[in-house]
Amino acid sequence: MTAGAPQPLLDSLREIVGAVHVITKPEELLVYECDAYTLEKQLPTAVVLPGGTAEVIAVVKACATHGVPIIPRGAGTSLSGTVLAVTGGIMIALTRMNRILDIDVANRRALVEAGCVNAWVTNAVKGKGLFYAPDPSSQPACTIGGNVGTNSGGPHTLKYGVTTNHILGLELVLPDGEVVWLGTTPDGGEDVDGYDLRGVVIGSEGMFGIVTRVLLRLVRAPQAFKTMLGVFNTVDQASQTVSDIIGAGIVPGALEMMDQLITQAVEAAYKFGFPLDAGAVLIIELDGLAPGLERQAETVVGICRKNGAREVRLAGSDQERADLWKSRKRAFGAIGRLSPNFITQDGVVPRSKLPEMMDFIAECSRKFGLRIPNVFHAGDGNIHPLILYDERDPAQVKRALEASQAILEKCIELGGSVTGEHGIGVEKIDFMARQFSPDDLEAMRLLRRVFDPNGRCNPHKMFPGSKRCGDFAPRKQIAA
Amino acid sequence: MTLTAASVPEVIANLATAAKDGVRITEFALPQMNRVLEYTPEDMTVTVEAGITLAALQQRLAERGQWLPIDPPCPESLSIGALLAGNKSGPRRYGYGTIREHLLGIKVVLSDGRVIKAGGKVVKNVAGYDLCKLFVGSRGTLGVIVEAAFKVLPRPEKEEFVQASGAKLDALRPLTASELAPVVLDLHNQEQDTPTLVVGFAGSREDVDWRLGQARQIGLLEPATLEYEEKFWGEAQEPHRVSVLPSKLLDTLRDLEASFVARAGNGMIYYRGAQAPEKPRLPGELLRRIKDTYDPRHLLPDLPW
Repeated sequence: MTAGAPQPLLDSLREIVGAVHVITKPEELLVYECDAYTLEKQLPTAVVLPGGTAEVIAVVKACATHGVPIIPRGAGTSLSGTVLAVTGGIMIALTRMNRILDIDVANRRALVEAGCVNAWVTNAVKGKGLFYAPDPSSQPACTIGGNVGTNSGGPHTLKYGVTTNHILGLELVLPDGEVVWLGTTPDGGEDVDGYDLRGVVIGSEGMFGIVTRVLLRLVRAPQAFKTMLGVFNTVDQASQTVSDIIGAGIVPGALEMMDQLITQAVEAAYKFGFPLDAGAVLIIELDGLAPGLERQAETVVGICRKNGAREVRLAGSDQERADLWKSRKRAFGAIGRLSPNFITQDGVVPRSKLPEMMDFIAECSRKFGLRIPNVFHAGDGNIHPLILYDERDPAQVKRALEASQAILEKCIELGGSVTGEHGIGVEKIDFMARQFSPDDLEAMRLLRRVFDPNGRCNPHKMFPGSKRCGDFAPRKQIAA
Repeated sequence: MTLTAASVPEVIANLATAAKDGVRITEFALPQMNRVLEYTPEDMTVTVEAGITLAALQQRLAERGQWLPIDPPCPESLSIGALLAGNKSGPRRYGYGTIREHLLGIKVVLSDGRVIKAGGKVVKNVAGYDLCKLFVGSRGTLGVIVEAAFKVLPRPEKEEFVQASGAKLDALRPLTASELAPVVLDLHNQEQDTPTLVVGFAGSREDVDWRLGQARQIGLLEPATLEYEEKFWGEAQEPHRVSVLPSKLLDTLRDLEASFVARAGNGMIYYRGAQAPEKPRLPGELLRRIKDTYDPRHLLPDLPW
């Protein structure tokens, strides 16, 4: 059932942002029916595209007056249905608010609007020896506001940390229309008294209000890189190598694994020169000062060889490094060559349990009769098994969901988490009660009520017992 | 009163007693809850009870060549619970950040006796709201922290400090901008009237040697230690604290006639002998609502801000 929007509300919205920035036609709303988690879909009642914080405030107040749900949305690249309009409501899309407002090189900060695209930030400060560290695969499209919502990660978070480690402060429009700045102010010192409310808003999946502006921390770009491709006959050898590198006290900038199925698909799509017969490859990137990298690289090569690597290739140029990363980050896009549909799973295990987890995934693949390629942030223990299926075969859909569930349950059993960077959204609601106790969940609900007493902001997410969209609506997937 | 307990059930029981007697708890003492519950060096993660001192934890980690990269004053007497509740830090925060960046999970007894946990023990985790952040720096106002899990780092192979005094303060600007990437960037006037700039480097031998060479070229010649820290924090009187935009630090210090230690890279100034800074504007109503939500009977310390 969809909550209808009363005509007076639509009139007010048009007045606030201009009629052209209010979308109500079903065919135009289709874009907003889901994010990159496509198993559940629902049209929002309307989509509003405000042009600035003042408009967001007015829109939020109008919705509050009419008691209509609000759903903040960035680029819609999220992978767990975080921005799904479960029972309709007014979707507030921040994509017009995409400016970089200020870059403060001396203090290594950038102030951006929430709709600013992640990659734009790094591009804007490239010549100044700085970068914005969190680099999700969707970074050419995803927005900073969306990154705040899901506390996004990416390959380079192994060394540099995730979104929460790089946000100093943010402007939040509460669901009643009050606007607050949380954390460090753009011209203020980094320590702020009071609870770390910036910290709790990051990763709250848009349920505490609408983030409108964000103050980012910029990081000094490394002087040098050593980017290596370790080629292994088996996933086991590669997994052990990951454990051994971390165990040796080396913290690479990134440490990524791709198994044979994904390597073949990526190679067919992007022709980087990956070996087609390797059981697994590791992308190992060391960064820092040139003087210290040499010895570290030797140690890493030694660990690879000890674990049976048949080859360790070193990226010979910046171009080669860029190509390698481009291939890795577009890996999901290559899956279309393997299967009409897939589920991008996301889970975390302690890094030393990686070999055991990879064995388990292989076993699931056999047991459920589905191919499950893997491309993931191995150094963090953050797995991304891609469960391939064909939606035209209902039995396959069922088995794909069962395999997903088995893998996530194993993550919990091994002391990990059911999501490392994609979020709970609607997809993983049922796992919350397995990972957390009723009291843990109640403590989270208490916090939500502080920000959103009526539960009107991005409702039906995160918590067990939430309403679900009707039936699954499988359709050919758009690669994330 | 001080809440003293040797176990989680005791924490719960003592909270109930305090509620029954209508006594407000102002401090916590859990020195017997000092176990390392789980330490997996190959995962670079550790879970401890909140009563363990930072020094004891560091000693345990050092046995495996690792450390929790945080260096607040008085680690021998500072419990992990107090470190978290007070969001304590030291000079190396410039290189490694504050404790929120290293905290993976937390277990807390709420004032009604409910035991909750947030986060976990893996290095990436976005399941549920990040309640860990709520308790860092909460000064004990929301619950009793009884356990915490951290990610740890390999100890740097080498760490060296150099300093320069007086006129050479111009060195500060290239230091924040260059590849020198110090882990410590402090200014203090604990040894003489003119400020001393202290710079620390950490990492592999090659890295540190290269950085020391670069530092010499900009006039940072004199070997240094962090002794001024101990001296400053050893005094009985709690210093004032002010946080400014790093680029405004020198101007702020120029107008400050006081005994100070400053984290120049972070824009933090700790000082004694001058007026307290102005109170910053805070989202007071939200803070109050959070306090009232988690501690409706006001059994725990009141908001200090």
